[in-house]
Amino acid sequence: MIKIIFNLILIASTIFSQTDSFNFQSPHNIKLFADYLFCEGDYLRAAEEYEKISTISDDTINFKIMISYSEIGLYQQSNLKYKFQPNSLLTNDARRLFIKNLFLDSPDSYYEKTGSELFPFQLDSLSLNYRNKLISISFLFSSVENIPAEEILYPFELQERKIILSFYDQKKDPSYKSPLLAGVFSTIVPGTGKMYVGEWGDGITAFLITSLFAFLAYDNFKAHHNTRAWIFSGLGAFFYGGNIYGSVAAAQIFKARIDFEFNDGLKLYLEQQNYFLPEYDFCK
Amino acid sequence: MISVNKIFYALSILLLCNSAAYSQDSFDEQYNYAQSLFNEENYFDAVTEFKRLLFFDMSEQYSFSANKMIGLSHKQGAKFSDAIRYLTLAKIQATTSIDIYNCRIEIIKINILRRTISKALSLLDSLSNDPGFRINIDEINYWRGWAYIFSDDWEKASQSFALIDSNHFLTTFCDSVDNDLYSVTLAKVLSHIPGLGHFYTGEYLSGLLSIGWNVLWGYITVNSFVEDRVFDGLMVGSLLWWRFYSGNLQNAEKFALQKNLEKTNSALRFLQNNFQGERP
Amino acid sequence: MQSKLILLFLFLISSSAFSQLDQFKWKEAFISYEKPSEFRDREYSFDSENPFDFIKKSFANAYWFFISDVDGDNCPFRPSCSSFFMQSINETDIFQASMMFFDRFTRDMNFTKALSNYPKVKSGYYYDPPQNYTLNRSKIRYLPSTYVVDE
Repeated sequence: MIKIIFNLILIASTIFSQTDSFNFQSPHNIKLFADYLFCEGDYLRAAEEYEKISTISDDTINFKIMISYSEIGLYQQSNLKYKFQPNSLLTNDARRLFIKNLFLDSPDSYYEKTGSELFPFQLDSLSLNYRNKLISISFLFSSVENIPAEEILYPFELQERKIILSFYDQKKDPSYKSPLLAGVFSTIVPGTGKMYVGEWGDGITAFLITSLFAFLAYDNFKAHHNTRAWIFSGLGAFFYGGNIYGSVAAAQIFKARIDFEFNDGLKLYLEQQNYFLPEYDFCK
Repeated sequence: MISVNKIFYALSILLLCNSAAYSQDSFDEQYNYAQSLFNEENYFDAVTEFKRLLFFDMSEQYSFSANKMIGLSHKQGAKFSDAIRYLTLAKIQATTSIDIYNCRIEIIKINILRRTISKALSLLDSLSNDPGFRINIDEINYWRGWAYIFSDDWEKASQSFALIDSNHFLTTFCDSVDNDLYSVTLAKVLSHIPGLGHFYTGEYLSGLLSIGWNVLWGYITVNSFVEDRVFDGLMVGSLLWWRFYSGNLQNAEKFALQKNLEKTNSALRFLQNNFQGERP
Repeated sequence: MQSKLILLFLFLISSSAFSQLDQFKWKEAFISYEKPSEFRDREYSFDSENPFDFIKKSFANAYWFFISDVDGDNCPFRPSCSSFFMQSINETDIFQASMMFFDRFTRDMNFTKALSNYPKVKSGYYYDPPQNYTLNRSKIRYLPSTYVVDE
C-alpha cells in the first residue's frame, strides 16, 4: 500500500514538473514581450513579435504593428498592415495613421494623392477631415502658390488656425531678398548687394578688395607703369564682376535658407502636435 | 515471475529519472537557444532572445549573463554605446568579483575600439587601483598597452607590455614601430631651413620645390628693399614669401604625420589580421 | 543591495533615453583598427573626354603640383578654391566659372567668415560646393551651419 502511494506521488510530481516548463513562444507570452518592446521603443523587434501573432484577429495588435513600422519610418510597410473591419474600435485611429503614413512618405506632394484608390477603406467624415488637414499642410510644404487662406484653414480647429495662419502668412510673404536688387546694389557700390542680403563680412571684404585693385590700377596708370596698371585693372574687373555675381547668388541662397527654416519650423510644429493625432496610451 | 518489489523499484527509478528530465529549466533552453544564435553570428536575433529571457526571468537568475551577452552582441554590430550600456547593467547585476572584472574589461575593450582612449585609461587606472584586482595586474597592463596602441603612443604601449614581460612579442613589436616613426617635432624644427624638413621625411621633390620658391621670393623681397621699393618688398614678402615659407613649415609637419599614419596603419593592419593573441 | 537597486534604476532611466532606434536588422560590422586619413589626396590623373578637358586638367595639375601643394593648406573651404574652380567649369562654362571663382576668393578673404552660415565637413573645413552658386535654384542645397557633411 505504501509503495503504491509512493509511486502515485512520484507520478504526480512528474506531471507537475512537466506543467512547470515555461513556453516562451506561446501567443500570450509573445504578446507580453511584444508589448514590453513596444513600450521600450524597440519598434522593429516589437513589430516582428506582433507579426508572429497577427493571425489572431486582435485589432490592437494590428494597430501596434502599424505604429511600430510608422515610428521607424517604414511608412509603406506600415500601411500594408492595415486590416481593420469598419466596426472595430480602432478603425478610426488606424485610418488616420494610414493617412499620416501617406503624408510622411512625401509631405510636399501629398496634396496630389487624393484618389480614393489609395485608401483600402471608405473615407468617413473624421478621416476626411484629417486628410484635408494634411493636404493643407502639404500645400505649405510644396511650392504651390496663390492658394486662398480659407482653403488652407478650413479643416482646422479654432485654436489651431492661428498658428497655421502664421505659417500661411510666412509662406505667402516670405522675407526673400531680390537677386536683381542685390546685383544692382553691388553694381553701384561693390559689396552693398551682399550687405543687403545680410552678408556684412563678405560685403565689406568685396568693397575693400575691389577698391584696393581700383586704387592700384589708378595709381600705376598715374605713375605710367602701364603693364602693372593693366594687370591690376584686369584683376579689379574680375573681382568687381565676381562681387556682382556673388551678390545675386547670395540672394538665391538666402531664399533657400528662408525655405529651409520655414520647413524646419513647420516640421517641428507637426511633431509637437503629434500630427494632429491623439497620444495613444498603450504603455500607461 | 518478476516480484512486486522489483516492479516497484524499477517504476520508482523510472519515474524519478523522468521527473528529473522534465524539470530541466525551460529558461536554460531559452538561454542556450539565444547563445546558439550568438554563436551563429545572428546577433540581432540573439539580442531579441536574450531580451525575451530577461523579460520573463522574474528571479533575475539570468540577469548577469543575458545582459552580458546582449552587450557582446551589440559590440559585434559596432553599436558601442548600447554595448557599454548592457555590459554596465551586467556589471551591476554581477554577483562574483570575477564577473564584475570581466565586465569592466569588456567595457574597456569597447572604449579602445571606439577610440575613447582617455576613458579606457581612466577605467584601467581604477581597475589597477582596486585592491581586489591586484592579481590581474598583468592583464590590466596588457589592455593598457592596447589602449596606447590605439592612441598612437607606441612608446608607452611598449612600456606597458614590458611590465608583463620584457620579451613579450608586443613589447618588441611596439618598440620597432616607435623607432620607425618620424619625429614630427624634428621635422618642424628642421623645416625652419626651407626644404630640410621635407628631406628628412623623404619628400625630396617637394623639398626642392620649397627651396626654389623660398629662394625666389626671398631674393625678390630683399632686392625690392635694397632698391628702395619698400611697398613692393612688403607685398612680395608678406603675400608670397611668407606664404611659401609657412607652407614649407606646414608641409614638413604634414609629411611626417602622413608617413607616420601609413606606418601605424600598417602595424594596426598586422595586429588585426595576423596577431594571434587576444585583441579588443 | 539597496544601493545596487538604486544604481540599476538610475542607470535604466538615463540609458533608455539614449537607446538607438533600430530601423533594420543589423548584422556583424567590420570594425577596422586603422585610423582614417584626414589628408587630402589629389587626383593627378589626365583622364579627359576631349582636348579642352585635357588642357584644363593639365593646368590644374601643374598649379596643384608647383604651387598649391607647396604653399601649404591655406583654403578654409572644401572643396578648395582650385577644386571649386575646376568643378565650376564642369557645372557651367569658363566665364561663369571665373565669376564664381572670384566671388569664392573674395569670401575666402573675409576674416569674419566664422560668423557666416557655412556648414562644416568632418575635418573642420567649411563646406562650400559650387552647385550653390550656379544661379540655378534647383541645384541649391542649403544646409544650416550646425550641419556636418560627410566628406
